Amino acid sequence: MSKRGTTPNRFLPPKESSLFKELLSLYETKQLKKGLKTADQILKKYPEHGETLCMKGLVLVHMGRREEGIELVRKGIRMDLASHIVWHVFGLIQKGEKKYEEALKSYTQALRFDKENMNLLRDVAQLQTQLRLYDGLVETRYMLLRLRPTARQNWVALAVAYHLSGNLAEAKKVLVEYEKTLKNVPHYDVEHSEMLLYHVRVLEELEQHSEALALLDVSAKDRAIVDKTAIMEVRARLLSKLRSDEAEHAWKVLIEHNPECYDYYKGYLSNQGLNIDENPAEALAILREFSTQFPKANVPRRLSLSLASGEEFQALAEPYVLSALKKGIPSLFVDVKSLYTDPAKLKSFEDIAESIHKDTSPDTSVASSSVSTEPTTYLWSLYFLAQHYSYLSQYAKALEILDLALAHTPTLPELYTCRARTLKRAGDFHGASRAMEDARLLDGQDRFLNTKSAKYRMRAGLIDEASALLGLFTKKDAPSPGADLEEMQSLFYLLEEGDAHRRAGRLNLALKKYAAVQRVFDDYEDDQYDFHGYSLRKFTVNIYLNVLDWEDHLRSHPSYIKAALAASRIYVDIFDDPKLASGNVDGDVTDAEKKAKKKAKKAQKEKEDAAKKSAAAAPATSTNEDKGLDVPYKDDDPDGMKLLSTPEPLELAWKMLQPLTTLAQDNIEVLIAIYDVAIRRRKYLQAAQALARARALDSEYPDLHVRIVHARHFVSVLPEPMPAPVGPIFIETLGKILSEGVSLETYNSQFLQNHSTSAQAILAAAQTSRVLGAPLQEVEDLIFTTLRDEVRLDVKTALEISSFLKKIKSPRVNELHQALDAKFTLSTAFKTPDELAKLREWVLTTTSNSSSERTGNGAANVENEAELGKEAGKSV
Amino acid sequence: MQQANLVNLPENYHIRLWIYHIVTWPQLSYVVEDSKGRIIGYVLAKIEEESEDKTADIHGHINSISVLRGYRRLGLAKKLMLLSQEAMASVYKAQYVSLHVRETNKAAIGLYRDTLGFEVADVEKGYYADGEDAYMMRLNLESGP
Repeated sequence: MSKRGTTPNRFLPPKESSLFKELLSLYETKQLKKGLKTADQILKKYPEHGETLCMKGLVLVHMGRREEGIELVRKGIRMDLASHIVWHVFGLIQKGEKKYEEALKSYTQALRFDKENMNLLRDVAQLQTQLRLYDGLVETRYMLLRLRPTARQNWVALAVAYHLSGNLAEAKKVLVEYEKTLKNVPHYDVEHSEMLLYHVRVLEELEQHSEALALLDVSAKDRAIVDKTAIMEVRARLLSKLRSDEAEHAWKVLIEHNPECYDYYKGYLSNQGLNIDENPAEALAILREFSTQFPKANVPRRLSLSLASGEEFQALAEPYVLSALKKGIPSLFVDVKSLYTDPAKLKSFEDIAESIHKDTSPDTSVASSSVSTEPTTYLWSLYFLAQHYSYLSQYAKALEILDLALAHTPTLPELYTCRARTLKRAGDFHGASRAMEDARLLDGQDRFLNTKSAKYRMRAGLIDEASALLGLFTKKDAPSPGADLEEMQSLFYLLEEGDAHRRAGRLNLALKKYAAVQRVFDDYEDDQYDFHGYSLRKFTVNIYLNVLDWEDHLRSHPSYIKAALAASRIYVDIFDDPKLASGNVDGDVTDAEKKAKKKAKKAQKEKEDAAKKSAAAAPATSTNEDKGLDVPYKDDDPDGMKLLSTPEPLELAWKMLQPLTTLAQDNIEVLIAIYDVAIRRRKYLQAAQALARARALDSEYPDLHVRIVHARHFVSVLPEPMPAPVGPIFIETLGKILSEGVSLETYNSQFLQNHSTSAQAILAAAQTSRVLGAPLQEVEDLIFTTLRDEVRLDVKTALEISSFLKKIKSPRVNELHQALDAKFTLSTAFKTPDELAKLREWVLTTTSNSSSERTGNGAANVENEAELGKEAGKSV
Repeated sequence: MQQANLVNLPENYHIRLWIYHIVTWPQLSYVVEDSKGRIIGYVLAKIEEESEDKTADIHGHINSISVLRGYRRLGLAKKLMLLSQEAMASVYKAQYVSLHVRETNKAAIGLYRDTLGFEVADVEKGYYADGEDAYMMRLNLESGP
């Protein structure tokens, strides 16, 4: 049998031709060794047979011999440019490298030579979806349907393609046609049910509500739709949109089904024409009825608190708080915290909690009851009050209350976590770490406490010790706890450790962690690929569309934003001061840490050498193991030094920030970061736009003030004017923000005057002075005015101020720290290095014997814990 | 859900698995959100494929459930379980639901056995990665009309 096609490197006589067929099926079944042999047999006689070369290359890649394989594939393509097989193979390999656009090109080439190849078409459809090329997708899906109209999913796939490309009307048509073709639909078929729900959704999006409702009701009656919850939800929504009288009942039915779903109450109220903000009284009346109807439900009672005010609020809040405290519900405070924006309500809660506290105080403070296992209302009222005062920044008072509580019940982890949180907010990161560890020791089995304790250690700069804790719950055979957590895509871990390194000046390691966050999100994006085909085969279209939507907004996730901001700030600093990239890599690392690091490095290298050796020895033992087509991730920069010393820091920064231009455009910090990078990359329009947007969000934002002056100053010191047409636009945009005539020094002074009691503003004014070239002393003097009594200064800002002084290499840093240490009595953040070293020891010595084992039963350790509790109470 | 799971439980999964569950059985998994929309509790569930033995009962399986520590005592875990179980029965006509729980996890066992009515069906030795044994528990679901 000869192959069609006229290229000389295509033809194979019968023997080799059937060998080739065998090769294909060996590949399908992943019998790689045999496949290799078969390929070689063909190539012996026909060394330039393009298709065989490609298949052999593909097999080699599967076996892990990637470079070799790809070379062969390229050769094969050269030998036979018009074969659909060679392009298909190339496409497969590119797809494995996540090069979706290139893969699509290859596949498209392949299709030129085999227009109706369903395998190719299906892969193309997936690629087009991944790349969001919806118009092309429609064509491909149409083709597939035409080729095989009996495959049900091809119909749905086409409808979905139309939908995604914005053509709902066509999507509907396809679905209607499809339903006509259906025969003998089995009863109670989940796939059919999901398809119908999708059809209803299309109708709803077309705003053909009556039709949607009709289809829904008929299908529900026929039991063709089996998801009752979905039916109820959609029904209520549609009836509301149709302003039907039946809508009210439909919402009630939903609330009965699940009285703890906010959306249902919102839907009900909205249906009654009530707006939570505009008609609180009427909404409240309704919610109170629901509360009575569903006494066990939390949501209606909580919503009532939001809506009520004055005496009515008081009447509702008291029993709400009391019952929660009686039940011992730890989340009471975080639950009502959002109401604290209303000062009257805040006061109410304080009064209520204080009075309950008084009413439930034990008559004598009996020490023997400290081993109580049943925390009482009294205890929980203390816990609430501690959180309350901590929130109000009255840290000493909060700690006092916690001491009382701990004396009463030293075995409750929540008291320690609250203590830890309070100390953290007060700026005592070491004390906080110790307290959190105390909490953890009370329940060693609880990963939540383990995670928190590790996090608090990182906040205190104890990174290796944090890692040791995390290691209690990570896979034992992972290279390190961090490696396991990174593998499992733990965002909190990557961010916390990145931040910890950053604070310690180890910018290389910080950048490495932020880059890891970036990679996690890249994986999140890549992973949707297989679901493009899968979801259609399962007919779960509605949820699939939601997944696509989630993917389209993926990087709006707070963790991504944090990583992007932190990394871009470092890159900008490196750009401004390249010395940062080469110098002090180790930051504030102690000798012990340095030794440990050397050891770890040595171990790592030994591991790598061993691996290399075994790999080198391995090729003869060619395994049949299919390594797939994905490229394994190789870490070629374990120290992050490559990142740190990159010649293009701004490009790396921009890469991370770019998605945020659309996904986080109302985040002022993001806009400022975009400005910082854009102006340095000389993308002036981008920079101007960012400033303008930021200004529209909050014109008095301190960090923004610095950038505005920076922009104006930047223009004034340019050696040549900005090129047209960009230049004039930039000037004009900037002019609207800050008119040209104004002197920058004056503008800065004015800003300072307008916000003279805000430490953040003073810091911004100082940073601005620096931009304008003011002498160091002047900048320092301004900074020190933040210590004045009338200035609102908190620990967070104080830390920023300290960082700034260090950055400008001020000799007065120690002086500042001493002053801050005196001002913030509870904080340990401004202690001298010696004092901090001692604190570090203190944090770790009490816990060193417990860190290597998991304490199981908390009760058994009560005696020790009581001691720890008392000590912790005393140390402040 | 994935991030809450990583903080709370030692058994973790790549995002792929989370997406896979949600896309295959969208009706069965539920989350609890706080006022800011952050996830503080979840249940991840599936229908167990019984591909070989077609006559075997269809059953649901709870893969993972967790509520953030600070939100306990609100009955959230019970609520999540009930919602998921109901969907298993109503959408998939599941006859029963199963799950694994650590032998020493008294709190969880209390919820399943005493509050929800599960029974221990089997002990699977060394089920967990750290070697701990698991109780495999089952609850019969009343099939719909």
